[in-house]
Amino acid sequence: MNIPGSGIFKGLVVTARNFVGSYFEKDRLTTEQYPEERPTLPENARSFPFLVYDGTDPETGMRCVSCKICEKECPPQCIFIVQDRDAAGKAIKRPKVFNIDIAVCMSCQICVEVCPFESIRMDNAYELSAYDRFSSLLLDKSKLLKSNTYYRSIHPTEAAETDGRIEADRLKKEAAAAAKAAAAQKAAAEKAAKAVEAAPELQKPEASA
Amino acid sequence: MNEFLQRLNALSWDACSQWLVLIPSGVMLLAAAAAAALRNLIHAALCLTLSFIALGIVFIALGAEFVGLVQLLVYVGAVAMLIVFAILLTRPSDLAGAKSPFAGLGPVGGILTGAGLLVALLAFIFSSPVAKTALPPAPVAPVAKIGELLMGSYIVPLQVVGVLLTAALIGAAVLAMEDKQP
Amino acid sequence: MNFFALPVHFVQAPNELKAWFLSLLASFGVPAWLLVVISAVLVIGTIIGVFLVLFALTSVLERKILARVQNRYGPNRVGPCGLFQPVADGIKMITKEDLVPRSADKIVHFLAPVVMMVPALMVLAILPYGRDMVPAELDAGILYFFAVGAGTEVAVFMAGWGSNNKYSVLGAMRAIAQMVSYELPLIISAVVVAMVTGSLAPSAIVTAQGDFAFGFFPGWYVFTPWGFVACLLFYIAALAESNRCPFDLPEGESELVAGHLTEYSGFKYATFFMAEYVGMFAICGLLVTLFLGGWQAPLPFLTIVPSWCWFFGKVAFVAFTMIWVRATLPRMRIDHLMTFAWKFMLPMSFAAFLAAACWHYAGRGPLAWALSAVIVGVPYLVLGNHFTARFSVTNRRYQFSE
Repeated sequence: MNIPGSGIFKGLVVTARNFVGSYFEKDRLTTEQYPEERPTLPENARSFPFLVYDGTDPETGMRCVSCKICEKECPPQCIFIVQDRDAAGKAIKRPKVFNIDIAVCMSCQICVEVCPFESIRMDNAYELSAYDRFSSLLLDKSKLLKSNTYYRSIHPTEAAETDGRIEADRLKKEAAAAAKAAAAQKAAAEKAAKAVEAAPELQKPEASA
Repeated sequence: MNEFLQRLNALSWDACSQWLVLIPSGVMLLAAAAAAALRNLIHAALCLTLSFIALGIVFIALGAEFVGLVQLLVYVGAVAMLIVFAILLTRPSDLAGAKSPFAGLGPVGGILTGAGLLVALLAFIFSSPVAKTALPPAPVAPVAKIGELLMGSYIVPLQVVGVLLTAALIGAAVLAMEDKQP
Repeated sequence: MNFFALPVHFVQAPNELKAWFLSLLASFGVPAWLLVVISAVLVIGTIIGVFLVLFALTSVLERKILARVQNRYGPNRVGPCGLFQPVADGIKMITKEDLVPRSADKIVHFLAPVVMMVPALMVLAILPYGRDMVPAELDAGILYFFAVGAGTEVAVFMAGWGSNNKYSVLGAMRAIAQMVSYELPLIISAVVVAMVTGSLAPSAIVTAQGDFAFGFFPGWYVFTPWGFVACLLFYIAALAESNRCPFDLPEGESELVAGHLTEYSGFKYATFFMAEYVGMFAICGLLVTLFLGGWQAPLPFLTIVPSWCWFFGKVAFVAFTMIWVRATLPRMRIDHLMTFAWKFMLPMSFAAFLAAACWHYAGRGPLAWALSAVIVGVPYLVLGNHFTARFSVTNRRYQFSE
């Protein structure tokens, strides 16, 4: 015969155990006390895009060549690019103005996927609250440029893969250039050899004289 | 120190005890008049509750602690709630349409009846021996003595009242129960 | 007595302080009637002050204890460990807009919080906070407590009706039905104690629990079979009277929005909230007085600690168990609630009554203890098993309101 009320008593014991345990067992309280403790974001967390630059100087190390593919592909059209022109008025491969409106950006990462020059990547900074409605949320080139070292720190795997790809491309280009130079040299050497074969008599009196 | 405070307490009680009876009595009369006169049924019920509370205070001020507290407990806690529940559950519409056959006379009939009753009551009270003899000292009625009397000399009325209340309870339960049809 | 030297007797400190202050005033020629008024004001002011501070503290401690039971932190931003949270809550409540529905009954709607708060504060007058520390020595103190507590029901009705809102009226009806149903076991449990003590005065009840059996075991009524059952019934009925979990159907958000409190905002809601907590403390105080020995210390040598410390310590413990129960149990349905009150608690309270009477008339010896334990235990097991039995699955009988 069960004692009526024993269920409630067992429930009270469970509750008491939870209460006392919450002071002594550290893994019971899973609350992260923001803003003292920041949450650990997973590696692929993304918020808004940023521009990558190699080296130490943002303007010279910038990878963007102002091809405007990301501007065309952006679904909410939040990227605005103006190509830079040199003193003569000819277009050069860098952007003069590069604005992203992060109030509009929906973090779809399409701009990253289509960029052929590995220059635009997703950041994971989320504390971007501003006090005004529009102007602080329009990031210009100076706010968007962040170094490759920063990129490596937030997305190590992706950055390593990108760097590897860039390195491989560079090596391939160098190898191609070297091969081309070697081929050109070989062709020039063959040509010189042929020229020597075609006129060997001219050479001999020069050689004997 | 406590004796000093007790003497202070005893000193002031006599001086203000008459106001303790007069003021709640006035409130009770006003509230009862309002309960009879108000249009809004809920307001009238709440004024009636106020008059019950005031009557309880009058009892306590007159020295009948037990009766006063039981008045509060039973009348305010149970009877007033009953009245209020009856109003809530039946939801009477505004009775503005009801016309009484005596409506044309105005308050004359009510005043005449009240005055006649007052005169008759005063005549009876002042001609009875109670008003002529000196009042005996007020009996001290601690709760224990009331309990002894109830269980001793007045046991039969107590049991009769108990049976009556039980019958009422059973009757109410039967009335409220639905027919259990399979 | 030297009027300018503070007394050093710590145990009776509140009484000694008040007496010293009054004698100081008397030495300045203050008339006697004014001294009485000042004495009353001092006592009332202290009690209200203490209980309002306790209310503030409890509102934040309850949230923290509930949080810890649910494996999270409670409020911990405002002040050390979040203890200034009531200040923040108070500021919020005061600065909120006070909305009154256009078709609401203005007078009734306005007076409901007042009528709720006044009985909750008035019942604090008869509790014995310590040795010789009862604000009002009433011969029928327990009766006063229940009589004045009945005023709360009027307030609930006024709140529900005055809001002119279907949910409020429904919530008020359910709340009143709940309060009236649970008043019976409450009062009968209290009457059991009064019967055994032979008096309705709280100080006499506390004094009667002052003896120590075998020299060390406290003679509180909760340690007797009938007293234990009566204490449990009183505790459950107290939870129902203060509309606390598991009986908080009238104010459950998922049930009736907020029941009779739906149309109240800002300071009026804060007043209701305050009245509920002060009422909870008052009824805990009465439970402590009736069953847990009031201001008596549990062991003879612990009387060094002042009596008012023991009283408030016990009240704090009972309040903690109420919060503990709130963290554990789900809300009861209205028909379960009413069935529990009328079909289980009322017979059990009568059984406790009978057991107490048998205990007294059997001489209060070992035989009396065994007899009262049987008289209380058998109905408990029988009734309890009857109501918790698994019913066979048959065709459901639907009941519709006509």
